[in-house]
Amino acid sequence: MLRPPPPGGALTDAVPFGPAVEARIAEIGEVDVLVGIPSFNNSRTIGHVVRAAAAGLAKYFPELRAVIVNSDGGSSDGTPEAVLQADFSSPAAILVQHPLAPVHRIVTPYHGVPGKGSAFRALFAIAERLGADACAVFDADLRSISPEWVQLLVAPVLQRGFDFVAPLYVRHKHDGTITNSIVYPLTRALYGQDVRQPIGGDFGFSGRLASHYLTKPVWESDVARFGIDIWMTTTAIADGFKLCQSFLGTKIHDAKDPGADLSEMLLQVVASVFDLMRAHRERWRDVRGVEEVPLFGFPHGVGLEPVPVDLGRMRAIFRQGARELGEIWERVLPPETRAEIVGLAGGAGDRFHFPDLLWARAVYDFAVACERRVLPRDQLLRSLVPLYLGRTASFILQTEDGDASDAETANRSLADEYVRQKPYLLERWSAQGV
Amino acid sequence: MWDFLSDVIRTTLSGFAERLRAFGPDLLAMLVILALGLLAAVALRALLRLLLPRLGFDRFASRLGISLVLQKGGLTQSPGDVVASATAWGVLAVSVLLAIGSLNLRFGVSPLAQAFGYLPQLLVAAALLLLGSLLGAFLRRSVLIAAVNAGLPSARLLAGGAQAGVLFLCIAMALEQLGVGRQVILVAFTILFGGVVLALSLAFGLAGRELARELLEKLVRRSSDARGDPLRHL
Repeated sequence: MLRPPPPGGALTDAVPFGPAVEARIAEIGEVDVLVGIPSFNNSRTIGHVVRAAAAGLAKYFPELRAVIVNSDGGSSDGTPEAVLQADFSSPAAILVQHPLAPVHRIVTPYHGVPGKGSAFRALFAIAERLGADACAVFDADLRSISPEWVQLLVAPVLQRGFDFVAPLYVRHKHDGTITNSIVYPLTRALYGQDVRQPIGGDFGFSGRLASHYLTKPVWESDVARFGIDIWMTTTAIADGFKLCQSFLGTKIHDAKDPGADLSEMLLQVVASVFDLMRAHRERWRDVRGVEEVPLFGFPHGVGLEPVPVDLGRMRAIFRQGARELGEIWERVLPPETRAEIVGLAGGAGDRFHFPDLLWARAVYDFAVACERRVLPRDQLLRSLVPLYLGRTASFILQTEDGDASDAETANRSLADEYVRQKPYLLERWSAQGV
Repeated sequence: MWDFLSDVIRTTLSGFAERLRAFGPDLLAMLVILALGLLAAVALRALLRLLLPRLGFDRFASRLGISLVLQKGGLTQSPGDVVASATAWGVLAVSVLLAIGSLNLRFGVSPLAQAFGYLPQLLVAAALLLLGSLLGAFLRRSVLIAAVNAGLPSARLLAGGAQAGVLFLCIAMALEQLGVGRQVILVAFTILFGGVVLALSLAFGLAGRELARELLEKLVRRSSDARGDPLRHL
């Protein structure tokens, strides 16, 4: 059951803008399409993203009024200036006709808790103030964005009445392992919608959904800091909005912070998913099976650079975890699961295989332990890292000789295992009286 | 002779009866205070055992790691039960002190005043010990997890060291609070802490030169490896 959109302006009043931005909003008046780009120190790439977005609007929606909004988190490298200086007045290289309406732009700092979620909140508020029918948001560090991405994320909303468009990328078979082994299969099993990239980062959504997002009291929570991607996807699913996916091709980011702490990354992502599990428990408890989500675009394979990985180190950390984290895991995992994991860690060489069933149950056990608060959340979820590395090492070993489609088959098989094990989750979840 | 003896006995008995008359109400007060204290302790224990689990205290204590500390200390009861029993014993101890005070014994007044005067220090020391054990257990888990995730060898040793450091500091602070051998504790702590740091420095710099170089090389290699690892987890 969809909630009716809130009265115009009522919720956006809570999102403050500076006088210049207020004046700009008043000057623009109304738009049909809004493209949002949250940023923080992305001066190297944001100009390219802005030009691609503007070209996409001019090429695919020349008759519509559009605005590109940059919501910046206080960049010190000239990101807002790069947006203002990006020249997209005459994208003749890709157009045979001139757009009928100019593409406006707004550059605004966002206020509130520092994070991508606060940047998105400002975008939702501007979308509501300008009465946008459709919105698309893109990461500011994209190198692979093309004008087609605008069409692929906006057209399903404007022309087919979808409310939320999730991205679908082609990725190297060993890329996105947290998504593939936790976020995708868990979201799919819980809510019964097969959204392949729930935390893709680039989305399309209707103005109605933007207003709906604004009604949620999450803007002082972790959603404002991190986890906005999975929150948007899950909220759209859980609140019954109409979903689809669009194939965008390859996603290439600006090289930035590749040595980011895995432990912190896993903590943020998994904590967000588990928090949403708690918030929507009534919604997912009765969901059985999985529904396909319509796909737009033209999926194709792309030759991708191989991803070298240090399997030895992954397995060493897994073994060390099994050896030394017993006192923590015993508060999370049932004895038989723990025994199986310890046995795996002690196993020999090339035959190392972390079964889907064991992994799915372990993730569910961590979700239940998080709900029961058997330990402080940070410690609990950081102790998942060795298990995750063991599972990832096993997946890489399993798929090293196969191609991308073999790896995808393995990912689907794991996702199906999550669905099969859902009664196990329900049993353990209800055993705690939640 | 007989008259003299009977006078002495009569005087003694009447003196005793007078003293007993004077002391009787104090004795009765003591017995009443003891009985009330016992009753209050039993009632409070029962009430806390009933209320604490319903308020989710056991889950909260488990989350803070108190249960683990209790288990390690050999206490198999739930944290709620332990708090209930400790509170009951505390009430009983206070009622015993009050009961002794009610007797108005000359030799009892001074120790009683001292005991009551000492009570705040005792409570602060107990709180410091509890805080130390909780903080130590928390720090131990954090260090253990971080060390394992970083693939550091001797993760348990590091974690145990962190916990022992916090515990030792808190014990020293608690003893300082109680006024037990202040100078001795201060000197012992200084010598021990300084000694450990000095020993580690010497061991690392002299005996473990090769190991130090190896470890540093490994760390540098690992951090540069990590920087170059292109695996995207998200």
